[in-house]
Amino acid sequence: MSIKLEQLCKIYNADTDFPVHAVNHLDLEIKQGEFVAVMGPSGSGKTTLLNMLGGIDTPTSGKVLIDGNNILQLHDKQLIAFRRDNIGFIFQDYSLLPVLTALENVEFVMQLQGHSEQECRKRATDLLIRVGLAEHLHKRPAKLSGGQQQRVAVARALAPSPKFVMADEPTANLDAKSTAELLDIMQQLNEQEGTTFIFSTHDPRVISRAKRVIVFEDGLKKEDTVQTEVSQ
Amino acid sequence: MLVKLAWRNLWRQKRRTILTASALALALILSLVMRCIQEGSYSANIENIARLSTGLIQLQHPEFKESQSIDDLLSAEPSFIDFARQVSTVETVLPRIESFALAASGDKSKGILVLGIDPQPEDDYSSLSRKVISGSYFGDPNNKSDKPQVLIAEGLAQQLNLKAGDELVLYGQGYRGQTAAGLFIIQGIVHFPMPQLNNQLVYMPLEAAQRLYSTGDLVTSWVLHTDSLADVEQAVSALKNHYTQAVNVRDWLDLSPDLAQQILMDRSSGLILMYLLYGIVGFGLFATLLMMTLERQREFAVMLATGLLRIKLLKLICIESAFIALLGIIIGLLISFPILIWLLFNPITLTGETAQLMLEMGYDPVIPVLLAPQLFINQIVVVLALLALCLIYPLRRLYKIDLVCALKGGAHAA
Ligand SMILES: Nc1ncnc2c1ncn2[C@@H]1O[C@H](COP(=O)(O)OP(=O)(O)OP(=O)(O)O)[C@@H](O)[C@H]1O
Ligand SMILES: [Mg+2]
Repeated sequence: MSIKLEQLCKIYNADTDFPVHAVNHLDLEIKQGEFVAVMGPSGSGKTTLLNMLGGIDTPTSGKVLIDGNNILQLHDKQLIAFRRDNIGFIFQDYSLLPVLTALENVEFVMQLQGHSEQECRKRATDLLIRVGLAEHLHKRPAKLSGGQQQRVAVARALAPSPKFVMADEPTANLDAKSTAELLDIMQQLNEQEGTTFIFSTHDPRVISRAKRVIVFEDGLKKEDTVQTEVSQ
Repeated sequence: MLVKLAWRNLWRQKRRTILTASALALALILSLVMRCIQEGSYSANIENIARLSTGLIQLQHPEFKESQSIDDLLSAEPSFIDFARQVSTVETVLPRIESFALAASGDKSKGILVLGIDPQPEDDYSSLSRKVISGSYFGDPNNKSDKPQVLIAEGLAQQLNLKAGDELVLYGQGYRGQTAAGLFIIQGIVHFPMPQLNNQLVYMPLEAAQRLYSTGDLVTSWVLHTDSLADVEQAVSALKNHYTQAVNVRDWLDLSPDLAQQILMDRSSGLILMYLLYGIVGFGLFATLLMMTLERQREFAVMLATGLLRIKLLKLICIESAFIALLGIIIGLLISFPILIWLLFNPITLTGETAQLMLEMGYDPVIPVLLAPQLFINQIVVVLALLALCLIYPLRRLYKIDLVCALKGGAHAA
């Protein structure tokens, strides 16, 4: 399982005098099991890149190949099913459904995959325990701290057993302690289950934990380094 | 899960949900009560007028409607009318002879309408004896006269200067061109509340009329009344089926076209008012549904990103709005039901001229309510139709929602 980008372009306002090349002829390959941080200044195109990787946004040109298949050729319905089964999303603002409890939030995405109620209940509970929320299964998001909510979001992203998890600035709203806890959890899941994590961030604490760091600027890949020394 | 989600979402904006549902409920209560009163007053009117003159259904000779001729008659044999008596919803069956004659007394004469009736059942049906203002009703044991008796309407009595006990000569054309003539004694004067008929009605027992017009055992019409107005349609079709072409089965709509017309117009004005009311409430509902979809763009985008199919998202919104409508319907019914029940036992009492007129006709001057399931169902259908109408635009926008913009929380995402 791998993601491969070929000559990927995203141009906003293409037909005006000031086209914005949010992503500019990007070639990139990410393999199963990687723990990748995409960093770069604001406006450099990180969110745009992640959206295209996750099949949410459509590029202006280029290919997004997942295991050699171009996901841009999928129909809307196929794409949704593809995203549901292969890609987990974590958002900066957690984006949990406010009317569902932590457990229900995680169960919900699994139910969309058509798992039985028991399966959903079991896996959702397991995941929430793994992210350290055993005590908070039945609380609604409003009753949880930001860090706890983001951990629910991690559990939700992992519930459908995706191959990739895309996280757009997942720690931007978290304090140092929550950030560290969250990274611990993600790192563990990465190492134990081989789940691929790709996140965008400004946060040096996150960057220091990534195995691979891609520096992005003006839609171009400036650096792509594999860090051998990953801090704990 | 979708249903659970929808139900909980409903209570995120508690006040808005309740307000919207209440507006729907209010519209439903007002229109339902209005319609029940309207239909109640129509059926009371129809019933009253039927009892007063035409009945709810009449069987006539196929030509009689056009010709009004004493030659176009139906049999008065039991074997002929037995079928009608056996229709389960038919409660009253009355034979009548209805024809014209010239009434003369002294040097005055006037064209009149003769109604030959079966005195006892007719009185049971229309309380005719209560309208006698002087003299007495048919069958008075004190009356020893050997001449046939008539009751004449008050207006006619005044015009011809007659009082109870006077004699009256009637001339006319009888069955198959025979001459109809007879001398009658006035048994009583009746006050008939419809002015036109009050000036020309002459009642006599059926046999007297049959003798006057030489009809033998024939009648011009059989007057039928059903248990309720709602039974008319079915009874008519059963009768038509049985009597086929040989008999013209006329319902009250055909017998009193003016009344039917008047009701139709009144009803449509009521319906317009009702739709106007729902139209206003519809705007509120529309605004709520639109807000409900627009303010949650980002949430929807997240759900779509995590694998919810668009169609399921639309379903979610449909369920949420259906809950609002259902809530409105339930609140509306819960409130209007006791109101209607109360009105059923304490009908609105009329005052003034109308009340006077109704009292004279022998009816309580009240507007009863009609509780027909159809009226309730109609309201529910209207609310649901309104909901469907209000949903079209929000659902369209939702279907076209742009995931990327919506994820960024853009308000223009859809
Ligand atoms: N819908 C749009 N229309 C026009 N330009 C856009 C649109 N979305 C993004 N852009 C532009 O594309 C570029 C990349 O945006 P993007 O959101 O990917 O940046 P980013 O790296 O995620 O920034 P940040 O760190 O602030 O989140 C920016 O210059 C932005 O102005
Ligand atoms: Mg961004």
